[in-house]
Amino acid sequence: MKTLAVVVTTPPYSPLTVTALSYVETALVAGINVIGVFFYQDGAMHANENISIASDEYQAIAHWQRLQQQYQLPLHICITAAEKRGIACDSIDNEQINQAFTVSGLGELVELTTKATRLVQF
Amino acid sequence: MSTLHLVRKSAFTTNDFAQCLSVLDQQDSIVLMDDGCYNLKHPLMDSLIKRANSTISINVISNHAQARAIETLAVVKQIKMNDVVELTFTHQKVITWQ
Amino acid sequence: MISSDTQIEDNLSQQNGLAIINSKAPFSSDYGKDALDVALIFGSFEQKVSLFFQGDGVYQLIADQDATLVSIKDYLKTFSAFEFYDIEDIYVCQQSLVNRQLDEAFHINDVQVLASVEFGKALNSHQHVLRF
Repeated sequence: MKTLAVVVTTPPYSPLTVTALSYVETALVAGINVIGVFFYQDGAMHANENISIASDEYQAIAHWQRLQQQYQLPLHICITAAEKRGIACDSIDNEQINQAFTVSGLGELVELTTKATRLVQF
Repeated sequence: MSTLHLVRKSAFTTNDFAQCLSVLDQQDSIVLMDDGCYNLKHPLMDSLIKRANSTISINVISNHAQARAIETLAVVKQIKMNDVVELTFTHQKVITWQ
Repeated sequence: MISSDTQIEDNLSQQNGLAIINSKAPFSSDYGKDALDVALIFGSFEQKVSLFFQGDGVYQLIADQDATLVSIKDYLKTFSAFEFYDIEDIYVCQQSLVNRQLDEAFHINDVQVLASVEFGKALNSHQHVLRF
């Protein structure tokens, strides 16, 4: 069984994130079991509910949400990376956090890495 | 054991591409993507192509190069994202140079 | 390229955990600290992790640095705890040292300086690679 884990370190407003999304969606369409995406460093900004990107620009967050819903793709944000970027992660009904994302620790990255046949970083 | 190298930075700005080349193995493949496409016109590319006479496969994501108005070279294979996904699993691991 | 999935699985079982490549100098970004956090968590979960220092990443290992002089938390000091996390494989790219006129004087012990080919081979023996 081919399993894939992906690490995203670029923020939602970066054109580099478009490439990451394209790669992950292509893998999902090809039937690859993508066991999770781990958002680390600036990637953690994806979970910030207050980010507003002009409507005529690429909507990375909406695309991740769509993949999460369509494929039950687990999206993990690193709590340490998120908190130092102003996303408070302390309560469950947190309005600052986009609900498509799961607040996780780096331990989740260990979990994904040990389970995946391939780990790809973007 | 073969490695797939995803090169995302221009060698005119950073040493990432040079560092990638320094660890490159005979069975490895390179995919130029994002600003990595600019490396098609970098002097380091010449040395890579000379080495590629052996077995190293050099690829570029076609729409990434085309978007940047970069002419591709005959020895560089133009691929799409589904090829990158396939290459991920025909190599034993992936290193992203970004 | 590869004859079968079985062969891939066989190869994987011989492979050697996670390799982290450090490519950035220590005090102008949080890449070094972010990489360190990943290394330590793998260590504390008893997962095999090796560290590679290449390019400006070699500056993270050089002796006699003092981050406090530029008001930065001295995360390099934590490198001395690697042995408690069973992080034993630490590799430095020799060419990167030579290019920067650096001696092999590091602030931790048991660092292995490798020429490019050996550095690449050591990297190649790992199952997964992250680069910071």
